Amino acid sequence: MDHKTSEEAALVRRVQARDEMAFREVVERYQSKVFSIIFGILRNRNDAEDIAQQVFAKVYFSIKNFDFRSSLLTWIYKITVNECYDYLRKKRVRKLVYESDFSQEDAQRMEASEPAVDGSVPADIRLAQRDLILKLLSKVSEEERSLILLKEVEGHSVEELAGMTGLNENTIKVKLFRTRQKLLRAAGRLTRTR
Amino acid sequence: MHREIRDHIEDVLRGSQPDAREHLAQCDECRTELQVMQEQTALIRELRAPEDFAADLRPGFYARVMERIEAEGPISIWNLFIESAFGRRIAVASLALALLIGVYLVTSERSAEDVTLAVQSQPAIMEQTIVLGEDAPAREITRVDQSQTDQSSEDAVLANLVTYREQ
Repeated sequence: MDHKTSEEAALVRRVQARDEMAFREVVERYQSKVFSIIFGILRNRNDAEDIAQQVFAKVYFSIKNFDFRSSLLTWIYKITVNECYDYLRKKRVRKLVYESDFSQEDAQRMEASEPAVDGSVPADIRLAQRDLILKLLSKVSEEERSLILLKEVEGHSVEELAGMTGLNENTIKVKLFRTRQKLLRAAGRLTRTR
Repeated sequence: MHREIRDHIEDVLRGSQPDAREHLAQCDECRTELQVMQEQTALIRELRAPEDFAADLRPGFYARVMERIEAEGPISIWNLFIESAFGRRIAVASLALALLIGVYLVTSERSAEDVTLAVQSQPAIMEQTIVLGEDAPAREITRVDQSQTDQSSEDAVLANLVTYREQ
């Protein structure tokens, strides 16, 4: 897929030329997506807007470095996930801290709104599992993290990922496999240290 | 993990690789690893936000983003030094080095000035001692004392005085 000639590329070039209307269009087009990525990872409603603002500020300042190798969404997705991990790092979120950030309202919402999750698993165990997977994902590179989240959270196929990132399908498969292996090893190390 | 599973891992995780079943039935290692991968995949999928989350967006988000952009301004090279711990260390080390060099330069300049002053003041002192010598030796000594500020100059004057008296 050619990311240099699409309608999106024209929009990006306008933003690169500091066209505020174009930037407004980017914000309005992707704000819901960015919010849902942040809330999906952090489950912290209070800080979601703050992080989303930071994401778009980064987009504004860094868009001159956007090289059209990937889609704009893939690029913004990566920035968003990185911002979430920066937030986690800054707050040094460990299990107990993380739980204390998690409001009663969020817990109820999480209980009620996640159809993919086994309802028989108590909320505290699910929180511990969420904490564990976030920790494991912190052990892989930014690119690997974004790729596996795009695959499993956003539900993109290998073919779609190849189109979005500008890489070929085999490269995507190899990268996904390496990421899964790293997660496996990280889980093993974590189990041994506990 | 063996090649039979590894090469088709995405399909196996999706459950759409019937050929893998035969290998998995025989291989404990692949079965165990695949099971952990499946559990991890399920956990990663839980990072999906609820469908209705976007509805909670407050209006005026773009305006708040622009406010933040204006407040932050363009990223300056100085921010790298101020914001990162490594940058701060480099800045402190550079300041300390600049201070050391400054102190060294000032002290070395001062000692060079002292030497020059001592050399320059010697003929004047000698002249003074010769003029005052015979009439007022006591005054001469007092004047010599007042005009000297460092030990080397004082020594030079005393040596001159002794030589003059001997003559």
